[in-house]
Amino acid sequence: MSNRATLLLGVSYGFMSLWSLFVMAPVALMLAAAFKSKRAIFLDPLGFPDNLNFDAFQRAWDTGMNVFLLNSAIVTVASVAVIVLCSGMAAYVLARSPSRMMQLIYLLIVAGFAVPVQAVLVPLFQMISAAGLLNSRLAIILPYAAYGIPFTTILFYAFFLDFPRELEEAARLDGCGKISIFFRIIVPLSGPAIASAAIFQTVFIWNEFVLALLMLTSPSLKTLPVGILQLQAEWTADWPAIMAGLSIAVVPVLIIFVAAQKYFVRSLAGLGK
Amino acid sequence: MTPDNRPNDRQQRDRRVVSSRLATLLLLLPALGLCAVFIFIPATLAIAGSLFEIGISFSNWRFVGFDNYVRVFNDAVFWIALRNNLIIVVGSIVLQVGGGTLLATLLDRGLPRYSTVYRTIIFAPMVISTVAIALIWLMILDPNTGALVAAMRVVGFPMPRLGWLGDPNIAIWTILVIAAWQYTGFMMVLILAGLQGISRDLYEAAALDGAKGMRAFWYITLPSIRNVVLVAILITTIGGIKVFDLVFATTQGGPANSTQVLGTYIYLQAFNLGNMGYANAISVVLLVFAVILGWAQLRATRRA
Repeated sequence: MSNRATLLLGVSYGFMSLWSLFVMAPVALMLAAAFKSKRAIFLDPLGFPDNLNFDAFQRAWDTGMNVFLLNSAIVTVASVAVIVLCSGMAAYVLARSPSRMMQLIYLLIVAGFAVPVQAVLVPLFQMISAAGLLNSRLAIILPYAAYGIPFTTILFYAFFLDFPRELEEAARLDGCGKISIFFRIIVPLSGPAIASAAIFQTVFIWNEFVLALLMLTSPSLKTLPVGILQLQAEWTADWPAIMAGLSIAVVPVLIIFVAAQKYFVRSLAGLGK
Repeated sequence: MTPDNRPNDRQQRDRRVVSSRLATLLLLLPALGLCAVFIFIPATLAIAGSLFEIGISFSNWRFVGFDNYVRVFNDAVFWIALRNNLIIVVGSIVLQVGGGTLLATLLDRGLPRYSTVYRTIIFAPMVISTVAIALIWLMILDPNTGALVAAMRVVGFPMPRLGWLGDPNIAIWTILVIAAWQYTGFMMVLILAGLQGISRDLYEAAALDGAKGMRAFWYITLPSIRNVVLVAILITTIGGIKVFDLVFATTQGGPANSTQVLGTYIYLQAFNLGNMGYANAISVVLLVFAVILGWAQLRATRRA
């Protein structure tokens, strides 16, 4: 290998390592702070914790992290299930109907992709409030589902266009209707597309903030992002407890991500294609 | 088949057509209904509501025509917010798409080993909640007890007296860096997917013609990933227009409105000050930007 190539390789590894350090440092500082005492973090913000001190985790857990975790899980699972089911059904019908009417309906759903939730906060709040749904999980599950549908429908639509039709023909000759073809033939064979869509939506819904902030004010219903911010407001200077709460929220997600990173990356990179 | 079987046959076929139509409707309705109720109706109401003055109680709507828009365009804070959105859009394109392209190129061609490890680490912030990220950085940047202050004191680097997020001239740039920390890995992965689609033969052919290194990057790599980069720029632009969580959780638009963005300003006007109609008018401005850019993104994606 020539000198120049070696130098280039060194610079490449150096740059990648530097950026990786930049990315990892805040996460490491979060973990270090979570194990420190309030005194230690004030005196020595940079150092390692002297001993593993779980007090801060106890404080965070007792203030409601367990409730927030459960709420986030319920809301995410419910929303993602509704998104995948509704988008799958709609995309299947649309991908199998060449009529102009259906093309228009597809374009209409796709147009929903461009509308950001921040631009409709006021009317959405007014509608949910008028429906008496404020402070109920439905107040965020239904909007989450709606805002996930356009993109997921686009994804499934492309997938179903490439789906081999022989199986469907065979099922139709056996007397199966559209609905049973969808559930018995299409769904069992769409595993990769479903997984990819579900991962994508889970990342966004698990972390969604503004709607949860607006619609749920009762502490027993708050999801993680809103709950964490509430902890920070309550414990102005108790960084160890705040960081312990954050660690409880962030570390499981990071572990799942590392274990399944191939699928996460594939799912999110799909946006570019 | 005997003749008297035919009517029966047709009846059965008719029933089939009807049940097929019904099935189509049943499969379409949930998705259409949800989108209509939670996307299209609110968007229409935001446009309609921007022509009214609406109090916090929602009951007293008073028609004011385009007065809200006149107020918006004469509102200094609106222009600060729009300028900040623009700073975040342009800054993020440079840092996130630029940095992402550089990192992706190194991953794709430069590193013989460990590229998955690097990719996993650099992409990881994408799955962390923005609020959590904001709080971690609030701790690091704390002007009294933060790790950055402590580290810089060791090196002797001067720090802003009011803190990186407390100085009105600096805060928005700090937010820009935090956003780059979070999303550059996402852009890297997006662009990497584009790079991996380029045929190796193309590079070999170019090498025979004497194009290597920077020349190969300029004449082969960049043109081949032009569309992916365009999509990355559009995603970043839309993200910069919609930014809310990061600003809300770090500075709430302060100090002195210096980090206000459209999203946080809508929230402030609507839910802290109770000016629902006025907030709707700002929302319509945001909506117009988002719809144009979203449409452009979909068109670019379909061509890719």
